Formats: sequence, C-alpha cells, structure tokens
Amino acid sequence: MRLEGTYTLEAPRDRVWELLNDPHVLVRCTPGMKQLEPAEGDTFKATMEVGVGPVKGTFQGKVEVAERKAPEQITLRVQGGGSAGMVRAEGTITLREEDGRTVLSYVGEAQVSGLIASVGQRMIGSVAKMLADQFFSNLIKEASASR
Amino acid sequence: MAVTRVFGARIKRREDPRLITGTATYTDDIVIPGMCYTVIVRSPYAHARIKRIDVERARKHPGVVAAFTGKDLEGKVNPIPCAWLIPGSDLKTPPHPALAVDRVRYVGEGVAVVVATSRHAAADAASLVEVEVEPLPAVVNQEKAMQPGAPQIHDGVPNNVAFHWKVSSGDVGRAFQEADVVIRQRMVNHRLIPNAMEPRSCVAAYNRGSGDLTIWMTSQNPHIHRVLLSGILGIPEHRLRIIAPEVGGGFGSKIPCYADEAVVAFCAMQTGHPVKWGEDRRENYLATAHGRDHIVDLEVAAKKDGTITAIRGTCYANLGAYLSTAAPGVPTILHGLMMCGPYTIPNIDYEVYGIFTNTTPVDAYRGAGRPEATYYVERLVDMVARKLNMDPVEVRRKNFIPKDKFPYTVATGITYDSGDYEASLETLLRIIDYPNFRKEQEKAWKEGRYLGIGFSTYVEICGLGPSQVAGAVGFQGALWESALVRVHPTGKVTVLTGASPHGQGEETTFAQIVSEELGIPIEDIEVLHGDTEMIPMGWGTYGSRTTAVGGAALFVACRRIVEKGKKLAAHLLEASEQDILFEGGRFFVKGAPDRAKTIQEVALQAYLAWNLPAGFEPALEATAFYDPPNFTYPFGAHACIVEVDPETGTVKIRRYVAVDDCGRVVNPLIVDGQVHGGLAQGIGQALYEYAYYDDFGQLLTGSMSDYAVPKASQLPPFETARTETPSPHHPLGLKGVGETGTIASTPAVANAVVDALQPLGIHHIDIPLTPPRVLAAIRQAQGR
Repeated sequence: MRLEGTYTLEAPRDRVWELLNDPHVLVRCTPGMKQLEPAEGDTFKATMEVGVGPVKGTFQGKVEVAERKAPEQITLRVQGGGSAGMVRAEGTITLREEDGRTVLSYVGEAQVSGLIASVGQRMIGSVAKMLADQFFSNLIKEASASR
Repeated sequence: MAVTRVFGARIKRREDPRLITGTATYTDDIVIPGMCYTVIVRSPYAHARIKRIDVERARKHPGVVAAFTGKDLEGKVNPIPCAWLIPGSDLKTPPHPALAVDRVRYVGEGVAVVVATSRHAAADAASLVEVEVEPLPAVVNQEKAMQPGAPQIHDGVPNNVAFHWKVSSGDVGRAFQEADVVIRQRMVNHRLIPNAMEPRSCVAAYNRGSGDLTIWMTSQNPHIHRVLLSGILGIPEHRLRIIAPEVGGGFGSKIPCYADEAVVAFCAMQTGHPVKWGEDRRENYLATAHGRDHIVDLEVAAKKDGTITAIRGTCYANLGAYLSTAAPGVPTILHGLMMCGPYTIPNIDYEVYGIFTNTTPVDAYRGAGRPEATYYVERLVDMVARKLNMDPVEVRRKNFIPKDKFPYTVATGITYDSGDYEASLETLLRIIDYPNFRKEQEKAWKEGRYLGIGFSTYVEICGLGPSQVAGAVGFQGALWESALVRVHPTGKVTVLTGASPHGQGEETTFAQIVSEELGIPIEDIEVLHGDTEMIPMGWGTYGSRTTAVGGAALFVACRRIVEKGKKLAAHLLEASEQDILFEGGRFFVKGAPDRAKTIQEVALQAYLAWNLPAGFEPALEATAFYDPPNFTYPFGAHACIVEVDPETGTVKIRRYVAVDDCGRVVNPLIVDGQVHGGLAQGIGQALYEYAYYDDFGQLLTGSMSDYAVPKASQLPPFETARTETPSPHHPLGLKGVGETGTIASTPAVANAVVDALQPLGIHHIDIPLTPPRVLAAIRQAQGR
C-alpha cells in the first residue's frame, strides 16, 4: 500500500523540522498514539491504538529513524503489531521552504498483515490516509501555535 | 399387506426436523466435565523464519492449563501426511509439521497452542504468545512461484514444483496440423473457499488409564481420519475412536486430515483434560483447505464441420503451502482425465504442474477437478462454435459420444459406463424453447439489450470408486464401502453405513432403499453413521459416492438378509427354499401366497432360535463390503439465460434450467436439493466468489463481508428436470448427484455472459464475472 501527500505549513522549515523531531509533539499529533519512548540508537518504542472498521487494537512497535538529513528530509521505518495484525512501513518526509512557509510532502509504503489485512482491507487505504491527514493537520496546528 | 413403493418417492428428509429445530448435536455442542478449550496461534505472515516463540506469558495467564509450540510436539506428533501419491509425476512430499517449528509458509499456519479452562481465557492467552520472526519474501501466484528467483518454499522442491503429471493419447500434433480452426485461450479457474455452514471443530478426550483416545470431529470420513491420526499420534487404531456427530456440511473441506485435530488431541493427551477446539469463520477462511485455483493455457483443434479433433493444455495448479490429504489427485486424476467431456475428442495432450505457494493448502471442493475440466471444455466448445459461426448446440451434438457406443473409453483412458447425452440436451432445449429464445435475443440486441444463453453439457466421474484403480492412481486407501443391516427381534432395522453423510440426506434415501428391499415400513428403519467404534470400516462421503457406492453395499446387505430369511421361512413353512418367494415384506410359498411369514415374524424366530433349520446361525443381520467394478458417470445438460447491463456490467440470471441424469433416482426431492445447492455454488464461482491474496500472501477476502457467497436473492428460481440412464454396473442403477450442480453450472453462466455480449465481439472474460470485470471487457470492446 502506497501513501503520499503534500501539506503546506505556516512556519519556517527549521521550526517544522524541530517539531518533527520532538517525541512529545509526535505523541500529541499522532492519532491514537499513547506512548513514544526513546530506545537504543535512533529508535523509539511506540504504543498506539488504532481501529480499522470492525478491527480495533493496541499496537506495540518500533519507530526507527533510518535516515536524517536536517532540516530537509527524514526517513522513518515502522514495525509493529498486536492482536489485530502487523504493520511494516517505511516513509520519507521531505521539507521544502517556500516564501517563509514549509511545503511538506511524504511518501510511504506500508505492508499490513493479519486481521486488519483480511477484514479491514476495503477500509485500510482510506483509514491510513485519514490518519495521515489528522497527523499533519495536528502538526500544522502545532506549527501555527508556536509561531 | 402391500407396502407403498418408497424407492423413487419424494419423501421429506427425516433428518431435517432435528436440524431445523436446533436439537441436533454438533461437535461444538459437546460438553464434557473438566473440559478445557484451546486456541491455536496462527501466523499472520505468509512466509517467515521463526526466530523465537515464547509462551511463558501465556502460561501465566489466569485459567491457562498449558501452552505448547512446535518444538514441544517434536517426536510426539508426526508430520501430517499426504494420502494421494500420484505415480509417475515426480511428486515431492515435503514434511508438514503439525505446528510450524522453524518456518511458517502461509497466513494461518499454526505456531503454538494454548489450553485454558475457558474459551475466553484461551483466546486472551493466545494473544500473549510472543512470536518473533524474520519475514521472508512470499509468492502466492503459481506461475510466479515456478519462475527462477522465486522464493523457495520447501527444501528439496526446486522451483516449488510439487509434481508434473501428464495424460496424452492419439496424435495431437497431427490433429493440430490438419485442423481447420485452432483456438488458443488462457483461462483462470480461480480459488474458492468451501464455506461449510459449520466451521471445523473437535473435542478430544484421552483416558490415561486405558490409553483410549476419543476424538469427536467434523469429518466426512471418520475411518480415514482414524487411520491417519493413529499414525500421526502413535495411538494404535483400536485405541482410537473417531466420532463425527452431526456435521454441518463439508463440500470436501472436511475430507483432509488437518494439523489442528492432531494438535488438539496432543493437548488432551498431555494435560489429561478433555479439550475442545473450534474455528470461527475468519479462522476457517485461513486454516481450512481452499478449492480450485488453476491457470491453464488451452488449445483446441477442430474441423470446419465442428468436429473437435484435439485438446492440448498446460495447467498450473496452485496447491498452497503444503500437500493437503488428497491435493495431488484433484487437479490430475479427477481433473485431467475428464478433459474429453462428453465428447469423442480422439487426441489429448494435457499436463499439470502442481505448485507450492505461500497460501492456504488447496484440496477437494465440491466437484474437485471436474468443475474445472467442465469449465475449460465447455468454454472451448463455445469458442469453436463461435469461430465456425455454428450454433453451440450443434457443435455439442456433432461431438457427443453416441448413446449406442457405451461403455465408451475416452482418449484419457477412462471408460464411461452409460450415457444418452442427446436425450438430456433434447429435454433441455424443449424446456427452454430454444428457437424462440434466439428470436427474443435478436430482438433484444436490436434494442441494445444484451441477452444471452449458455449451455453446459457435462459428464462427471463419480461413485469413487474401484479400489484397484484407486491403488493404481496412487490413492493411499481403498474406495469400497460398507453397510450393515441389523433386523432386530421386533422387525425394526438399524443400518450402519461406512459412508458418512453430513447433509446429503442418506438417512432418508438409505431407509428408502432398505424399505424397498425388505418391505419394512420406513419409520421402522434407522440409519447410523460416523462412529468408528460402531460402524464397520468404510471410506466416507465425497466424490458423490455415498449413495452410488454405499447404497450398493446396502443393497447387497439387504439381499443377504432376504437370502437368510428365505432359509428360515422355508423351514417354518415346511417348504423347499427354492419355492419361497419374497415380496412386500412377506416370505411365501410359490403358488400358495397365503402360506406366508412376514419378515418381522421371521426376524423374531431368527432371534428366539427355538426352531431353526440345521446349521442356521441365530439372528438376522448382514454386512456387505461393496467394491464397485467401475466409476459412475452422471451427465446432463444445463442452460443459463442472462441479461448483462452494459452500463454497469451487472449480470442478471433470468432463467436457469438443469437437466441431470444421475441414473435411477431414490428420492427426487433430495436429488433436487442436491442440484439446487450445487447450482448455488457453481453460480457463486461464475459471478461472485473469489478468494483473493495480495502479493504478500495476505488473504484479502478474509471474512464473509469480503468473500461473496451468493445470497438467495442473487439466485434465480431453479428449474430442474431429469432423464434416466441407469448405470449398468450398479445393482440399483444409481450414479450419484452430489456434485453435478457445481460441475455444470459455472460454464453455463460464463457461456451465457459471453453469448450475450456477442454483438460487441467479446470472446472471453475470466470468471468471476463481477460487474467491474464485465464492464472493463465491454469498455475495451467499445474502445472506451
């Protein structure tokens, strides 16, 4: 499953970069994110609650920063699972400065398995898109608040 | 007193009152004091190396009695065997562990099991089992699995090819050279999920004192399960009892010996508790065998006059991740040998590759190989007709095996017992008023409406089957059937059948056969089955064999009762045995019908044994083990009339007519019921059902909201009729009817849709003919 999108944030790129690298901000912005704890290296342990249609569950996982090019690009690798299934994903967020604003674009590839794949399939694409939208609109709010 | 004729009567199924009032006992209804519940932890990955499985947290969960992994089973539970080892095909049989040890090969494969005092505790604890894996690349498509560089699923199975089987006869090359027309077509006969109403379930109870193990399970063939589980668990056959209580349908999916039942039995033996396991529907979709799944490249050669001279094909059969019990035989013996259909096609060259993929294992599903063959042959016949601008009915007639040529050996080497293909086709054409339909179709086309008719004239191999043939084609068992008829002192009868009906109505039809043969009222006859401790060895229900083979055994046993009864009646009537006739339940002296004893009187005397002829053994019961001399070959002609909406691609079935010939009919009501159910499933495959995997091996149609089993509202009223061509070798002339509906109907629907779209020049659309697929074909044809 491929996901992509572009958003414009009313904040300078350095500020957006800062926000993206702050675990507290990520917990606040990610829908259903309960916990994000730094672990060894450039990784975090995450606990998330997600529902796809009839399938709801808690996911335990690992978020790894695979590549970081401050302040323009970050590549994340996510791996997690729970009774509702497993997710493996990799995504790259790119920040471009434009007239004092930041244009954020992301592209990612996710592989889901287990219950969410077999039962939630018809909804999973739109749910993922919705979660991404929520995340980035929350981030936009954070960015405007801190301006 | 004359007994009303019951053979051939439309008697309502005697098993139904308990089934429809909720008073039947299914496996999951069984409760034993102290019983525990198991949940099998299944892989969410299609292909992965297992790095670690930790059941410690699960073990500590409240209510948990035990938890096991594949390692705990090693040396105690043997691998799950395949029981159809087709010869001459270089068949590979990689080990199939009951629980995966170092690698998982499909989503749904068991990796651990949790036993707890309640179902909920077991389910909660199962979610605490930690499985750490390293995902491996997966392959779900059989053609991709054969290509170089594809993920290798089993060691020692290069390119994932489990077998390569061929049937070939005549001079196919020459037939193609000399053909006036040659048509090449790739077809897909997609994967289906059997969807028995009752998912699989079992209860295992082990007595540590006696060493006896009893397993109640959803089985179509308890004796086969006993033999196989005896080997898997190391329990001697006489210490193992398999009971199939009420079984809510199987359609083939309850033939195989699965790992799960062995794992549950192991849990019972280890913990000393009776243990229950049952699938929910989602688990059923992943863990119970699927059906079909072919990709085939086909070629047909024909003459200008419509004579089909040769069929050539290469079939890629997806077997899933492991060899299920009968898997290798389904796309070969039950499929490839049927590639002549009801036609005199003299040259045939057909090869089948059986291929492992990271998907749920594939095995028999109602029709098992014959629906696929019928689909290919009937589509090809229609394509020949179209190419030659002939009526599809005429091409069929041109190629039918004439009725005076039976028994007829087709190019694939099997011998059809009897047939009158013209008769069933004629009956069909009369019912549908064919000439008028074509006029109506012309008119509809002019109005921009797409009306079409599809034919399917099929023959199938059933009544499995002669044991010697079973052996010759690698089936690791026999195919005779047993029947025991016990006439009690009061003249009531208990019948034990080794076949194991589970929805087909034999408790009624077998009682009808006995009632007819012994002249005993049907309400005095009870038919029992499904318990290996009570029933003589038998081979179960599949391949439309229960009435065809089990019914023959029953007939022979009844004749033995009559023979024995005659001896005693002669003695009691002081007449010579040769002068005793038996009719309508009475033994009487030839020429003096008043000098008579009823079978009930004779039975009582046989048990009282106060006055028996010399050398006469007391009691009145007989057992027969009947091995049929040949298979039976039911046939028929089906037609489907559809209208296709060109704007939405929706197919609406306007009429469905099935003319079947299953030989003599014991109970027309039950035969109709069998045909109706089969049609629903065959139409389901043609229009709706599709078990679909994504490239990572996830089953995307993993629930009933995603996998489209047709609803009653999506099916037309079925019109059925019959011709009657008895099987010459069956003592009652029966043939079997359990699978004809599924075998015939899929191509009838597909042919109808393509026929409807003739004006657009569409030649083929792969099934299932869902609106998006049909619409895409229409748009492509219209250049949109």
